[in-house]
Amino acid sequence: MSAPVLETRGLGRRFGGLAAVDDVSLRVEEGTVIGVIGPNGAGKSTLINLITGHLKPTRGTVAIDGRDVTGQRPWAIAKAGVARTFQIVKPFRELTVRENVAIGSMFGPERARSVREARELADEVLERVGLLGEAGARPGGLSVADARRLELAKALAMRPRLLLLDEVMAGLRPGEIDRALELVRSLRRGGMTILVVEHVMKAIMSVSDSVLVMQEGRELVRGAPEEIVRDQRVIEAYLGQRYARRVSERDSGNGHA
Amino acid sequence: MATPTRPASPAATVLGRWRIARPRGRWLALALVALAGLAVLLLAPHYLLLGSEQRTLGSVFMFVALAQAWNIIGGFAGYPSFGNVVFFGLGGYTTAILMAKAGASFWLTLPAAAAVGVLFAVLMGVPVLRLRGHYFAIATLGVAEGVREVVINLDGLTGGNSGITVPAVGPEAVTSYPGNTGFYFYFLALALAAVAVVWLVSRSRFGFGLRAIAQDEDAAAAAGLNTTRAKVTAFALSALITAPAGAIYAFQQVTIYPARLFDVEITVLMVIMVVLGGSGTVLGPVVGAVALQYLSEWLRTNYTDLHTIIFGAIIVLAVVLLPMGAVNFARESWAHRRVSLLETIRTYRL
Repeated sequence: MSAPVLETRGLGRRFGGLAAVDDVSLRVEEGTVIGVIGPNGAGKSTLINLITGHLKPTRGTVAIDGRDVTGQRPWAIAKAGVARTFQIVKPFRELTVRENVAIGSMFGPERARSVREARELADEVLERVGLLGEAGARPGGLSVADARRLELAKALAMRPRLLLLDEVMAGLRPGEIDRALELVRSLRRGGMTILVVEHVMKAIMSVSDSVLVMQEGRELVRGAPEEIVRDQRVIEAYLGQRYARRVSERDSGNGHA
Repeated sequence: MATPTRPASPAATVLGRWRIARPRGRWLALALVALAGLAVLLLAPHYLLLGSEQRTLGSVFMFVALAQAWNIIGGFAGYPSFGNVVFFGLGGYTTAILMAKAGASFWLTLPAAAAVGVLFAVLMGVPVLRLRGHYFAIATLGVAEGVREVVINLDGLTGGNSGITVPAVGPEAVTSYPGNTGFYFYFLALALAAVAVVWLVSRSRFGFGLRAIAQDEDAAAAAGLNTTRAKVTAFALSALITAPAGAIYAFQQVTIYPARLFDVEITVLMVIMVVLGGSGTVLGPVVGAVALQYLSEWLRTNYTDLHTIIFGAIIVLAVVLLPMGAVNFARESWAHRRVSLLETIRTYRL
């Protein structure tokens, strides 16, 4: 059996006395989607930063396709096939939307042969995420939803093996979330391996093959989405006890979730 | 064989032809203007210019090259180097020492000066380019000041504060002194090379990488760009142009002193020329260098006592009114078909 696309062992990062991420071990097999949820400060974004090398782990290891990349610089990990979005979008403000995306195909794991080819590839990606109409604009004028689409397009232009999505749906309206989810599903159908960090519960449950619930930097529960939504610890930790009570009352009332 | 089977509507044909024709026409016009300009610059010393005018223009060309070199690291990569004069000084001293102590030909010292500049840029860049923004500016300023002190203290080699003199006349002169016309052409060649390099950078993958670094370094790294290598390369490329400028300058001056060759004012001029002309553009530093050098020269002759204070006031005013630089201002005014200084102040408020 081939190595998982992403494997972390005992991964952790301390900031002074605080363990932002502590002892997280993950195996993400090719073509699957793993969701990561947890309350604010649970360490979800830190986990992504540890995988991409934007933060150096203070313990544990990260392997991509079975190759150890622990402690390597972000561009080396990107070249190994890892693309990410940032929770606070990071567009290149002085470049056009098309050029923003072309950067990914210029420097990603599968470098375009020329700047011209990178631009053409960028247009394909923009078409896919529904942003081609804005190709010549500057990112400053984009709506929140479009700015997040651009963030995603920049990552997709790298044609990654592993895609890490850090709250790409935060702040979107329901209709926009559905479009984003459909995109994630279509990427998965295309065989991409995806790790989704998300606050929107409904969103993550509907696209994930498995879900990791984090609390205070540690793994709280892990399992299939259907199990997670019923898990009493998750409901209490993540959604609060009041919600937990409501769910259990509803469940005892009509017998299903 | 590939004849159109379906006759296009006249309007579409006209439109199609116009669309194709326009960029080609623009390129052709640009190439013709550039060629005509080049012809004038090449012929001018023999037919139009006095010796002193050649000297002034030579220093304009030198600053075009220096500004263009700064543009690579400060404009494209967004790393505001306040120590670029260190490459100028090292280039100048490499040439002066090799000519004076080793009796080397100027033409041999020129690549040596470039090599010393590039080597120093790499050695200095690896640690210093880890800093960002103001910290980087201060660190580069400090390195340049420090190197000047070292040069002063190595007086056995450099002559210290009393300077070093290049053999320029008589039997000791390996390379005969080229005079005003010669230096005019040396600096012109360097300026043209600098513009060509920046033009190539602006169109290349490397140039896009630098612009990405300037705007968001973390995102650039996440896209797979080796940001350290790109920054150090940009710094080295900047030195590759700056050090030969110092070498030619040293030969032209004959006697050089640390106070002038490592003068922070030279760095400041590079920065101002690029910022006022338009940083990160190909044309901006040319416009900035030409305008400021001529303005400075004109003020010096007409307002001998007050020229620095007037020069300073004009620079402050220009930075307030045109914070994005003349070239970017012209481009935006053209794009919106409207010229408004007030609007740009509002948009780019400092």
